[in-house]
Amino acid sequence: MGEVIVVTSGKGGVGKTTSTANIGTGLAMLDKKVVLIDTDIGLRNLDVVMGLENRIVYNLVDVIEGNCRIRNALIKDKRYPNLYLLPSAQTRDKTSVSPEQMKKLSDELKEEFDYILMDCPAGIEQGFKNAIAGADRALVVTTPEVSAVRDADRIIGLLEANEMKQTNLIVNRLRMDMVKRGDMMSSEDVCEILAVDLIGVVPDDENIVISTNQGEPLVGSDTMAGRAYMNICRRIIGEDVPFMDLSEKNGIFSKLFGKRRKN
Amino acid sequence: MNTTNNAVIIKGNKYGIIVVLSPDEKFDTIKELVAEKFKESSKFFENAKMAISFEGRDLTNEEQREILDIIQENTDMHIVCVIDEDAEREELFRKTLEQRLMELANNTGQFYKGILRSGASLEFETSVIIIGDVNHGARVVSKGNIIVLGALKGNAFAGATGNTNSFVVALDMRPMQIRIADTIARSPDKPVKEEEKEAKIAFLEDGNIYIEPLTKSVLQDISL
Repeated sequence: MGEVIVVTSGKGGVGKTTSTANIGTGLAMLDKKVVLIDTDIGLRNLDVVMGLENRIVYNLVDVIEGNCRIRNALIKDKRYPNLYLLPSAQTRDKTSVSPEQMKKLSDELKEEFDYILMDCPAGIEQGFKNAIAGADRALVVTTPEVSAVRDADRIIGLLEANEMKQTNLIVNRLRMDMVKRGDMMSSEDVCEILAVDLIGVVPDDENIVISTNQGEPLVGSDTMAGRAYMNICRRIIGEDVPFMDLSEKNGIFSKLFGKRRKN
Repeated sequence: MNTTNNAVIIKGNKYGIIVVLSPDEKFDTIKELVAEKFKESSKFFENAKMAISFEGRDLTNEEQREILDIIQENTDMHIVCVIDEDAEREELFRKTLEQRLMELANNTGQFYKGILRSGASLEFETSVIIIGDVNHGARVVSKGNIIVLGALKGNAFAGATGNTNSFVVALDMRPMQIRIADTIARSPDKPVKEEEKEAKIAFLEDGNIYIEPLTKSVLQDISL
């Protein structure tokens, strides 16, 4: 029996889709059977980030409306055979689907897959309600900015009201240099405000922009963000992975001054 | 003759009667007249169940009872209750009741455990002790006091029915807004430099809300 995980944030642009793509790919690399569902109907882009846009024939709304079978709409990933994508419809809107229908769909997919990852749209309206309907677990993505943290707080409140069994926090786009200068909240600060368990911290990494544009998730690669996402995947499957030291950077400074550890 | 005739007047409606008594006559005369008038109209009242109210003359409890007895003797009417038309007394009743209710709201309380997150709004009839944080964008309203065993970062409204003695206490006091009775205080526009976390109390004095560390002397000044 699989687990349905919704990736959500409230605020837009904090990295829900990027996180979904990387975590999904990472779980597939760990030999799990994974399906990614883009629930952002009308504004689909998980397929772009995954580099699978050209393979779309049927979509989520087609499945819900019974125009095709689930297996027809699922797109097999080009790198990992145990990774699938159910893309969103671009010509429809959020009201085309109801939370009950999403719950039924995820219950069906649970039979076959180990992990079902829902990429939630921004906001707290219909799209959000659809995405969380069948979820067993939520990953709340936030950046260390006050506006994103406020929205994450609201989202966590709504998840609690909907009796989400488990909620974990991903702090995305953290810049350790700014944290040290006191210009950015640390992941500890964010955790203290939101009072939910942290499952990963992803540093701000320009490689993410490159990988997103190329449609190649960078999870597992030898980049800061790639390692951070792999750690999150390992924690999701239940491994106990220590948090990495983000100040230890492969940047020009550490090359010049050698390794300078700081606890 | 005319004056005595009008010394007692009975007015009525569907639910009750108003007996207008002249203040100029002796009480004994009034009693006689009441007996007379009600005897005359006893057929009309028969077994009616009515409320009664007296006007025109201030009656002592004793006098009121005497008149009620006379009415009962002379008619088969059943008087269910006596309605007091005294505006002053009504005001006094209202004030005492409201004050008592306010005290009750202040002195009794309940616990709430959990984090109030953005968008949450909780209202309490009594004082409340919140075990957890009140985050930005959340709101607590109480008719009495609000005590937050955690960080208060959202809005708190104590003494919602106008009790100016109400107060707000938080272990980490960084509210957006605090409202006590009809006075609103908001957080400073420029963020204050990182202060030590310390328990603070917000209270109303001379129309201003003050936030002070929860010291012994401040605690002594609290009146419930």
